[in-house]
Amino acid sequence: MSTNDQNTELYGILAEFKNPKALLDASEKVVEAGYDKFDTYAPFPIHGIDKAMNLPKSKLGWIVLGHGILGFTGAIAMMYFMSVIDYPINISGKPFFNAPAWVPVTFELTVLLSAFGAVFGMFFLNGLPRLNNPLFNVERFKKATDDGFFVCIEASDSKFQEDLVRQLFEEAGATHIEEVYD
Amino acid sequence: MSHKPTITDSLQFSADSKIPQVLLGVGVVGLILSAIGYFTNTDQFFFSYLVSFTFFTGIALASVFMVMFHHITKSKWGVVVRRIPEVFGSNIWIWAIFIIPVILGIHNLYHWSHEDAVAADKILKGKSAYLNTPFFIIRQVIYFAIWGFVGHKLYKASVDLEKTGDWGITSLMRKVSAPAIPIFGLSIAFASFDWLMSLDPHWFSTMFGVYFFAISFQSFWAIMILMVFFLQRNGYLKNTIGQSHIYDLGAWLFAFTVFYAYIAFSQFLLIYYANLPEETLWFYHRLEGGYQYIAYGLLLFRFALPFLVLLNREQKHKRSVLAFVAIVVVTIHFLELHWIVKPALHPEEAHGLSFSWMDFSTFIGLGGIFFWLFFNRFKQNSMIPENDPKLDECLEKTYHH
Repeated sequence: MSTNDQNTELYGILAEFKNPKALLDASEKVVEAGYDKFDTYAPFPIHGIDKAMNLPKSKLGWIVLGHGILGFTGAIAMMYFMSVIDYPINISGKPFFNAPAWVPVTFELTVLLSAFGAVFGMFFLNGLPRLNNPLFNVERFKKATDDGFFVCIEASDSKFQEDLVRQLFEEAGATHIEEVYD
Repeated sequence: MSHKPTITDSLQFSADSKIPQVLLGVGVVGLILSAIGYFTNTDQFFFSYLVSFTFFTGIALASVFMVMFHHITKSKWGVVVRRIPEVFGSNIWIWAIFIIPVILGIHNLYHWSHEDAVAADKILKGKSAYLNTPFFIIRQVIYFAIWGFVGHKLYKASVDLEKTGDWGITSLMRKVSAPAIPIFGLSIAFASFDWLMSLDPHWFSTMFGVYFFAISFQSFWAIMILMVFFLQRNGYLKNTIGQSHIYDLGAWLFAFTVFYAYIAFSQFLLIYYANLPEETLWFYHRLEGGYQYIAYGLLLFRFALPFLVLLNREQKHKRSVLAFVAIVVVTIHFLELHWIVKPALHPEEAHGLSFSWMDFSTFIGLGGIFFWLFFNRFKQNSMIPENDPKLDECLEKTYHH
């Protein structure tokens, strides 16, 4: 269909399903069959899809925590260097190590770095930015932003065998199955 | 997919339960003991009483607030637990009698109520248009008239809806709540100025009203969590209030922990930084004479501990963790009110931080009556607002891992 001379390497097999419920069931079947390099695509978030796909708990929280701690200690270290070591100034008789006055900056830097950790950590975990995806070669896949519910099992999966994957999708009730080339 | 969720629990609080009688007994004993304290040490009695009175009144006011914003946002998350704050609010008009001892003790509590002291003090003279005994009493009547009316009205509307099944009543609830929220905000602020801030009549903080709101609200969520656990421990609503509802209460407690820290620290930082003598003195008295231990305790147990413990999502619905944090927050709330009130009676010169048995007898006395009033009304109707249009959605809520 969308194969031309450059696109010869098999990327995976894409199956379309009728509705979110069918997608949830199909994804459970894919997990049962033992595939782990696969993904699901839908126009909107579906409750319970992460469970159906057997996804592990996101590591994003730990990334955010790490960045938050970095911001917290970084802010205190910075102010300690500036106000105590490098250029101490007596401000209305308050101590150089002026903990209450440092709280706003510490708070801001903790929040700032946590937010950076959340946004860029999310990019990192999702493999973004990515300029192209082989799935875009499939004309039908445009429906994924409108009314299409897809599962794609990638060819790099150790258990990948074309005929078995096709059979699995047919049993799961796919309305349309096709190969994706890179 | 759509089916009506079934409720398997009994929704009626047992009429034979011994809990209300026990609470009434405890309350009466506590109040009688405190009355003896009145004759042995009158000043101590009134100051202890004020701490306990503001503790429970703050919980009741925060309850009405929660019910109001639940109505105007058409929320569904808390329908199954909404009857608890509704009942707390419904009793405020009865609870109003407990302001009488504060008014009777006005000369023991408030320096500005002595006319000779005002005459000799330029600052107090300037404030006497607001801080004078008749106006103080008038204000208390106004506050409790507003709070008692709104609290009872919202409870009544909810019960009517349960009895008649008329969903049109929800619009009445919103019509009452929307204007009452700003009125509540102002009246709670002025009440906190009257009860707590004017103990140091020279001192002022424009943030004090929000501060009182923040401390009361944080401990309100802790009380809510403990109430739900208490009910479930006694076999009530075990299958109705589920993990997702408990999680919501935990999330609220976490949110208001951060809100408390933000407000309390903002008040402190501005005064600390500007370092103006008339503002700093209030904190000065609360950072000496033993009171500094409570001040640092607030930082640790009212902010750092609940914040770090509840930061992880999983902890926000773990019963043992939540119960522990809630008990810590309620305890530290009592200590914080002590820290606000007592330096006016026991500054460092007069033996500083000290606890009297009356601190506990008034707390137990008023607490017993407060919860007796609660259970007495709680058993009259269903424990959840049945027939509420959002009830089914609330019951269907499940916790997503």
